[in-house]
Amino acid sequence: MVNIFRWSWGLLLAFFCLFLVRVFLPLPFANEILIFAIYTIGCNFLLGRVGFISFGQPAYLAVGAYGTAFYLFYFGSNPFVGILIGVLSGVAIALLVGPFFVRLRSDYFALVNLALAVIMFYLFEKILAKITHGDNGLWFLTNMTSTPIIDLGNPSDFFIFTFLLAFGVWALYKYLDDSIFGACCLATKTNEDKLKFLGYSNFNIRWLAFVIANTTTAMAGSLYAVYFGFVSPEITAPSRAADPVIVTLLGGVGTLYGPIVGAFAYTGMKDLISGYIANWELFIGLLLVFIMLAGEKGIWGTLEPILKKLIFKKKNSTN
Amino acid sequence: MPTDELLVVDDLNVAYGESKVLFDVSIHIRANEIVSCVGRNGAGKSTLLKTIGGFIKPTTGSIMFANTSLVGIKSYNIAKMGLKYIPQDKKVFSDLTVRENLELGSYATQDYNWDKVTEYFPKLKSLMERKAGYLSGGERQMLMIGRALLGDPQVLLVDEPTEGLAPSIVTQLQNVFLELSKKTALVIVEQNLSLVSAISERVYAVKEGRVVHEISDESDIKSNVCEQFL
Amino acid sequence: MDTQLLISGVIFGLSIGSVFFLLAIGLSLCFGLMRIISLDQLLYYAIGAYITYALFRSTGSVWIGVLGGMVISGLVAFGVERFIFLRIYERDITFTMIASFGILIAGVGAIKYVWGLAPLPVPSPIGAMATILGTEIPVYRLVVIVISILVYVGIWAFLNKTITGKAIRAGIEDIEHVEGLGINVYKLFTTTFIIAGVLSGLAGGLHAPLIMVDPQMGLEVLPFVFMVVIIGGLGSIKGTLVSAFIVGQVISLGAIIYGPLAQMAPFAIMLLILLIKPTGLYGSKLLKR
Repeated sequence: MVNIFRWSWGLLLAFFCLFLVRVFLPLPFANEILIFAIYTIGCNFLLGRVGFISFGQPAYLAVGAYGTAFYLFYFGSNPFVGILIGVLSGVAIALLVGPFFVRLRSDYFALVNLALAVIMFYLFEKILAKITHGDNGLWFLTNMTSTPIIDLGNPSDFFIFTFLLAFGVWALYKYLDDSIFGACCLATKTNEDKLKFLGYSNFNIRWLAFVIANTTTAMAGSLYAVYFGFVSPEITAPSRAADPVIVTLLGGVGTLYGPIVGAFAYTGMKDLISGYIANWELFIGLLLVFIMLAGEKGIWGTLEPILKKLIFKKKNSTN
Repeated sequence: MPTDELLVVDDLNVAYGESKVLFDVSIHIRANEIVSCVGRNGAGKSTLLKTIGGFIKPTTGSIMFANTSLVGIKSYNIAKMGLKYIPQDKKVFSDLTVRENLELGSYATQDYNWDKVTEYFPKLKSLMERKAGYLSGGERQMLMIGRALLGDPQVLLVDEPTEGLAPSIVTQLQNVFLELSKKTALVIVEQNLSLVSAISERVYAVKEGRVVHEISDESDIKSNVCEQFL
Repeated sequence: MDTQLLISGVIFGLSIGSVFFLLAIGLSLCFGLMRIISLDQLLYYAIGAYITYALFRSTGSVWIGVLGGMVISGLVAFGVERFIFLRIYERDITFTMIASFGILIAGVGAIKYVWGLAPLPVPSPIGAMATILGTEIPVYRLVVIVISILVYVGIWAFLNKTITGKAIRAGIEDIEHVEGLGINVYKLFTTTFIIAGVLSGLAGGLHAPLIMVDPQMGLEVLPFVFMVVIIGGLGSIKGTLVSAFIVGQVISLGAIIYGPLAQMAPFAIMLLILLIKPTGLYGSKLLKR
């Protein structure tokens, strides 16, 4: 019981800070951080816990976004149902491609995922052009009906919804980290043979992790779709393939709050820097190389031990 | 310290990440001496050889070879200085022929005199054009030792040379080691105690990352005192 | 399907495959020897193409441009190897991969800064047409195919006949043993990296007259090059050649059957092959890590 309190305190604190962002910074910025953080945590989980690096997250993002978009454009008008459908299409694609992908070694995994993202791009841009309207994208902002209590068409209500959703996602990942499943994931990363001897199936563990991570990514995709009321193939463009990986590294691989910190820093920098120089890629590329040379721990990975020490000291002195 | 010490390892500590493997290990080897290390699997014998060979960085301690420190020197330079490590995995370059394997040894040391190799291992002569992947375990071990002889090393660090080999080949290797010790010092990690007692001048017993015993008395070595450390 | 279309399709596929092969061989060697996934090879490809364009504008000869592109790409690769990869070779493969992606992205940014965003044209250095079985084929495409086969023969000879090449082959099998013999492996790494960079530059230079030169060109071929490497098996030269031509044919013949297949079919083939053999056609399980 005490254990539950301890981790829930950390979680509450983190989301209190996020709420402060909403109060002190512009609303679009806060919304973008939230969605980006959800987008990243799947990638963070795959890389930090299972040891799979994925340059293909945009593929699952696009699946979620288009799942939502198709529903809202052609069939219905309730954004909540749209999001649900987006998430379900994420589950479907992850279940479908998972068995092929998780058998691969981590280097092949990265490449195959990247290829999938590119294929998705062409799929949505060219092959399905009749229903996706190609590069023009699908516009459905006016199709969405306003819903009672929380109206997703309203940015400040959207923030509340996304905030609660993110809280749920983080609670889930926190729970996963502490569970047997989390331990198994770490074990398949470090020593798959030994895990096999213990009677666990590497394949099943990886597949489940893959599905969970990519479902979260698809959820971010459907949130994007509802938030902008618009989806185009640009969402899975190859040049954006590295975004979640960069944010993961920036925040700190395998840390729970790394994605939030990373998303905050990345979005902030992007807004700041693109104001001064148009050449955003040059900067991001150099930043990536710098993080790698500096020791790959990321912002939160560096801060966390320091914060822990501070809090620990305080507690000791009050006792 | 006597001046004829060729290799002196002092207070060596080695760790893989968090877990320590070697604790204050000190050994010394004189020129033309055969020294064996015995101990159970996982005692840290191979780690000791790999650290001397420069493949693992020690956390603390010193390794002096002919009055130069080896700590921090890249392993290929250590090999060039005349201190060669022969791993236990019996992996030759299987895609290359025996000749090409030897060529690589020559390329590294600029020593193209293969007579000494074929003198110890005449069998290799007839196998020159064969891909090393098709050699038997014993032939591979011969190739690995032969390849390392190029450049006239002063110390050979041999890791479990007889593991999994037929008795007749073990006898052959035993003679080769004795013959070799006229020119070089050998540090051999070995589980085969009959070989150890037949060729060693001194024996270090390693247990749980520490050197627990040094046996230098010849009759003790011959009478299988080492057995108690396995 | 009529034969003329088929023949020109096959030649088109072979020339595309040739470019992929030149790019993939560097990636494959780098992975085999250094265990890095060098995404930055795609940058040297773009640099090769841009230098070809620049030198063509100043000298009027595409061939001088291609040569210059090879030299500059090799130099840039050398610099990157010295200042970045040398520090991170020992890290986990995923981390070198991310770093190389960073280099690629930064390079794309730099190219945009120097040459701008607009695609630039490079004319074909050989305008002549050859007739094969009654089909008109641009001679330049044939030249590209011949060059890539010459490169394959050259690489084969280098790896089998020279001592450095033999050391590289040995290193692909087990780098620690090569080091244990007393061979400076970092010299081998540098040599391999420069060879890879020069070949990528060559690929860019040769490809430039067939397409438009634009900053994103590296990112555009990236998935296909990776398909080539994956289908062939990371670290295998022969596999790379075979799979480059397979992917080239699938793209070009797929496009004849149904336009969008060009992009989709190679992916389907890759999935199929990985399903049957997760290490690719010629990949071995011997590789450590």
